Amino acid sequence: MGDKRIELLSTSTERCFDPYLRCALNGAAQTVLGVKGCGTLTHGPQGCEYLVYDAFGHQDCDYTEVETLCTKLCENEIVHGGEDLLAHTILEAKELNIQALFVLTACGPEIVGDDIVSVCRDLQPQVPFKLVPIESAGFKGSEYDGIDIALDVILRKLVKDSKRKISSSVCLIAPHANANPTWMGDLEWVKQILSQMGVQVVATLTYKSTLNEIENVASAETSLLLSHDAGKKAADYLSSEFGVEQICQGIPLPIGMTNTRRWIFDLGKRFEVQGIAKRLVAEGERMVVETYRRKGGYFFEVARFQRTPAAIVADATIGIPLVRFAIEELELKPELIALRSSRPDAREILEREVDDLGISPKIVYGTDVYKTKKSLEEISPEVVFGSNIERHAIEELWTPYIFEVVSPMRRFRVIDKAYFGYNGILNLLEVVQNEFADRWRSKEKRYKARW
Amino acid sequence: MDVRQIAIYGKGGIGKSVIASNISMALHEKGLNVMQVGCDPKRDSTRVLVGGRLIPTVLEKYREEMRIGKDENAISLEDIVFKARNGIYCVESGGPEPGIGCAGRGVLTALQILKDLDAFGKYEIDVAIYDVLGDVVCGGFAMPMRKGYAREIYIVVSGELMALYAANNICKAIKRFAERSGIRMGGIICNSRNVKNEEEVAKEFSERIGSKLVHFIPRDDIVQSAEINRKTVVEYAPKSNQTRVYRDLAGEIIKNKSFDIPTPMEMDELERLMMKFSGEVI
Repeated sequence: MGDKRIELLSTSTERCFDPYLRCALNGAAQTVLGVKGCGTLTHGPQGCEYLVYDAFGHQDCDYTEVETLCTKLCENEIVHGGEDLLAHTILEAKELNIQALFVLTACGPEIVGDDIVSVCRDLQPQVPFKLVPIESAGFKGSEYDGIDIALDVILRKLVKDSKRKISSSVCLIAPHANANPTWMGDLEWVKQILSQMGVQVVATLTYKSTLNEIENVASAETSLLLSHDAGKKAADYLSSEFGVEQICQGIPLPIGMTNTRRWIFDLGKRFEVQGIAKRLVAEGERMVVETYRRKGGYFFEVARFQRTPAAIVADATIGIPLVRFAIEELELKPELIALRSSRPDAREILEREVDDLGISPKIVYGTDVYKTKKSLEEISPEVVFGSNIERHAIEELWTPYIFEVVSPMRRFRVIDKAYFGYNGILNLLEVVQNEFADRWRSKEKRYKARW
Repeated sequence: MDVRQIAIYGKGGIGKSVIASNISMALHEKGLNVMQVGCDPKRDSTRVLVGGRLIPTVLEKYREEMRIGKDENAISLEDIVFKARNGIYCVESGGPEPGIGCAGRGVLTALQILKDLDAFGKYEIDVAIYDVLGDVVCGGFAMPMRKGYAREIYIVVSGELMALYAANNICKAIKRFAERSGIRMGGIICNSRNVKNEEEVAKEFSERIGSKLVHFIPRDDIVQSAEINRKTVVEYAPKSNQTRVYRDLAGEIIKNKSFDIPTPMEMDELERLMMKFSGEVI
């Protein structure tokens, strides 16, 4: 037996040795914590609650706006089932001033068969808030799967059918999915663009969303998916159930000049505000070019990366649009693209981009740290877009530059920066420039960089 | 002397509890200090040893203590180990209500509590008999093997295909844990269902899986009568032929020194074995 397992581990490179992603419970928690004035009850052991705290941070939550509870399961509940304790905890939450209580499950109770849906249904008449059970055991998949699971339950359980559509309106989906420190800045930029186009945001699924907004999401005319990692199922559900049209489909998110231009034009066309779209693009591009021209001489030295072999290791949300950014803005030559997720719609977008750009990099979908390390060894890029993990992974390689652009970022703290849009371009150039300048701090790096 | 830790496995309804209880009784007659541990949420393993009642279970007590804010340290051996009038120490692990919780984890929790409280040491137990429920249906039920509580495994079979199929599956579990926890197969016990060529089938099955047939127990109505009268056969009819068989089986087990790592069969091989003895043609 033992031999067979060891053999499996040593021969199959398809196995996940060191995942980047957290589990489904984390993604579900991240999603429900984006709903204001509600509570989250984790039905699981206290260690799993740590994933909820982690999600709490990613959603930039406020203890005055959301409540977090946990049943803190112990051995007794695993042996005898934890439904009684769950019921007891829900009834104790009666005193809380919340509109809904999202009940999430961790692995343990789902393995032993706790039926949280029935418990919530039975207790619903006894509590003054809505009970929303979400079966989100960690073994159901990654945080992206957890986001899809939670969005699915939220939409099915809370959204009211609306015959009346609000003209020029949109529902924003899964802005939080990548959990990078820039997602809130990106969301803010999207909202500003929509506002300038006169488009009303009916609801954001989810970020500081109210229950009322979520209930009325069917009144949105369109949906705008802000992730290449999660949320597509929610967009599809809103389309099929409530006729909410999906816009900006099949194109990369707005990172870099071309992607941003294409994305804004798509919006402008859909909402028949092509004039505004043109103006926004023209103003944005002028601002980037002028800033670059003014500071270029002594600040931005990024032109020196021309034709340098590069790797992009990121979530699909950032990773896919970065490909064009790397080629067009930095004139890099992407030779490795490793994405943490592997959604079919995202794969299609990337493959179209790669064709369109005329490059043939190695592509790894659903990468883990092990696969990334192996791919980096194989490709030996001189530049890596990635995270702190890749910073460590390349230590033994001949790779002088690592641009930390996605989570986990340990080297920098990012408060409210964006990668989307025109300021986003400058922000990314700033990261590149800082790393470029950083080489002077290390003789070794300087030699590796060959100048 | 080390405690002999013997587990009786087998398909549900094959007669494990009856055999375990009679072995316990027969070993006790030989002057050994015996503890029988029922590892089944149905908690009926020790019923005939204690005169027909169902004793409180370890997990029941555990849950009671948890409910009032205490932990497993509040449990004492006196709460969970019951000495029957015949002198055998009886324990029932218990388990969750049907359809909820994890019985396998429950059995392990109960065994861990017994170990922590040093039950064998305190009662100076020579032989512990674990009567483990049904088939090995999940990782949890295999825990007594996995954690090394049971050192010797005996599997009860009949000459029926599904009983042998279950036994073969249990062999897979034994093989899996043999290296890690040192458990070994003691042998096969055939509890007759009056199937054609039953003893021969069981014997050949035992050999094919790399073990041996320890004993063949003939079918006898006296087993039913003893059960109705809330007694082991050994107590109910001490001079009967069936009692002699149980005493012989207990003797075989206690003097058994040859333990094996089984080599489970493939299903089609098992079917061919059945065909051979039933006279059926494929």
